[in-house]
Amino acid sequence: MSIEAQNIRRAFGTFAALAGVDLKVEPGKLVALLGPSGSGKTTLLRIIAGLEFADPGSGRILFDGEDVTDLPPGRRKVGFVFQHYALFRHLTVFENIAFGLRVRRRRERPPERELADRVRHLLDLVQLPGLEARYPHQLSGGQRQRVALARALAVEPRVLLLDEPFGALDAKVRRELRRWLRRFHDEINVTTLFVTHDQEEALEIADEVVIMNQGRIEQVGTPQEVYDRPATPFVHQFVGNVNILRAPAAGGGDASFGRVMRDGRIYVRPQDIEIVPHEGRDGLSAIVRHIHAAGPQARLTLEQVQSREVVEAEISRPELGALNLRVNDLVRLRLRQAHSFDDSYAI
Amino acid sequence: MPAAVASPLTTAGSRNPLPRASRDAAWVRWTLTAVALVFLAFFLALPLAAVFAEGLRRGVAAYFASFRDTDALAAIRLTLLTAAIAVPANAVFGVAAAWAIAKFPFRGKSLLITLIDLPFAVSPVIAGLVYVLIFGANGWFGSWLIDHDVRIIFAVPGIIIATTFVTFPFVARELIPLMQAQGNDEEYAAATLGASGWQTFWRVTLPNIKWGLLYGIILCNARAMGEFGAVSVVSGHIRGETDTLPLHVEILYNEYNFVGSFAVASLLTLLALVTLVLKTIVEWRHAASRSAST
Repeated sequence: MSIEAQNIRRAFGTFAALAGVDLKVEPGKLVALLGPSGSGKTTLLRIIAGLEFADPGSGRILFDGEDVTDLPPGRRKVGFVFQHYALFRHLTVFENIAFGLRVRRRRERPPERELADRVRHLLDLVQLPGLEARYPHQLSGGQRQRVALARALAVEPRVLLLDEPFGALDAKVRRELRRWLRRFHDEINVTTLFVTHDQEEALEIADEVVIMNQGRIEQVGTPQEVYDRPATPFVHQFVGNVNILRAPAAGGGDASFGRVMRDGRIYVRPQDIEIVPHEGRDGLSAIVRHIHAAGPQARLTLEQVQSREVVEAEISRPELGALNLRVNDLVRLRLRQAHSFDDSYAI
Repeated sequence: MPAAVASPLTTAGSRNPLPRASRDAAWVRWTLTAVALVFLAFFLALPLAAVFAEGLRRGVAAYFASFRDTDALAAIRLTLLTAAIAVPANAVFGVAAAWAIAKFPFRGKSLLITLIDLPFAVSPVIAGLVYVLIFGANGWFGSWLIDHDVRIIFAVPGIIIATTFVTFPFVARELIPLMQAQGNDEEYAAATLGASGWQTFWRVTLPNIKWGLLYGIILCNARAMGEFGAVSVVSGHIRGETDTLPLHVEILYNEYNFVGSFAVASLLTLLALVTLVLKTIVEWRHAASRSAST
């Protein structure tokens, strides 16, 4: 089931939450809507679900080509998982999952035995067998999240929409659950769109990432595409870490370095900065200000001698050892790869 | 970074082992407790005891005889009838108002919240007078009502209207903060699962507010049965017809029928005690369900 949003606009007073958004999600894909808070990603998700409406006269929402713009959420057959799960607090896990089946018209309601079988099957699917009788407040955050997912799946949705699915969990559970969600998605194969502000999360599990900023889509692409070939300065800053360097008066003696800088700004990822001893002639002079070596990579904070700009660099631990660096040492920086947005190329 | 780690430790280390209040001298604590107890005994326990003592002064037989009086029975019936209409009306209105205020944005919301509090802010006597002004013989609709032979003031409808007005805020005020705190997410979830608005209300909203609602209804009922001021103005004090229990107490007292007066008063006192017990139970369940939801 594909999801298509065409020219969706939504304004709150003078603030444009969505300024004409077009989006197409291919069937069976797991797609992340990634952006900072206030970028419109949750509003877009809620409009797709029918919980909010686009401005009158603006675009349409299509599921598999069928116009659902005017359908209420219950008739769109979407599964929606809320950021804080919104489990029915007065109902057991069993009744939470059964809710969507119980509110059906009598003709469409499955008989009690079949209903119980389906609930149990869903509980097995989300790996929570035996928890039928618990109440939401007796579950951990990760368990609640999976109950919310099972409840959404009980109505056999055409698409699954998740709003910050891991937002309320602690870091370790987050990592486990998102890998689980990826496997789960491959198992059930329902078109899934999830909202997140966490780029690591989006890059790790999504087939495709939609990057939003200020009510617009900045770029759509696979995680590798948006990371390696960011289409806009915003994407470059938002996805992965980046140094933004302004052009100093002189190019630091490096011809190619200077050429990029004529555009005004260049974007360099910390791991694309090479640190060489100061005795050489190539590269920008910089002073080591801080060395953070607790981790797989060493992170260095350096200050350029000429422009006084601060640069973050990431090098391997063996490299750091070979350079034998100390705070306040003078070094030279060379860029393996950099972007500028008039013209982008690798050095 | 080292400073940030160290600071909580230093504050924890320098913190006093006990909060300040519990370090006050013993005589301060004992004096305060004694003052509170004396105050309670004098203003609460003594009148309570006096009601029953006065009612039972001529013995148990005289006490129960007071309730067999036809006027007393009529007063009990009228009070029950009034509560039976005013309380459900305010429960329905309270849920509707709280629902609208907590779940939807609209213009004039703060004005509506303020208006709901009006019956608490205004003296009940004024409330009664307002209805006399509107429905009384010389009031706005007075001549129309006389022409159509509808009696409101000095009749049962007036009593019910005045009681409804006075007890109007109890349910709404209890539910508004509760529903605001619960938010809309569960209702939205029900909507995505295909529930209709009606199903959502019965299956999601109402179960979530049931203890708050019950609490509001108990307080509303206590006040509906006990209201004096507003009802006194619109009732006309016709014995056996427009006398509620509180009004009947006053009439008996003014007729120097102290046993009868206090016996009927004890009935209202018992209602108050039952209300307090119910209120405590509901409060306890309410708190339990609230803490469970977080």
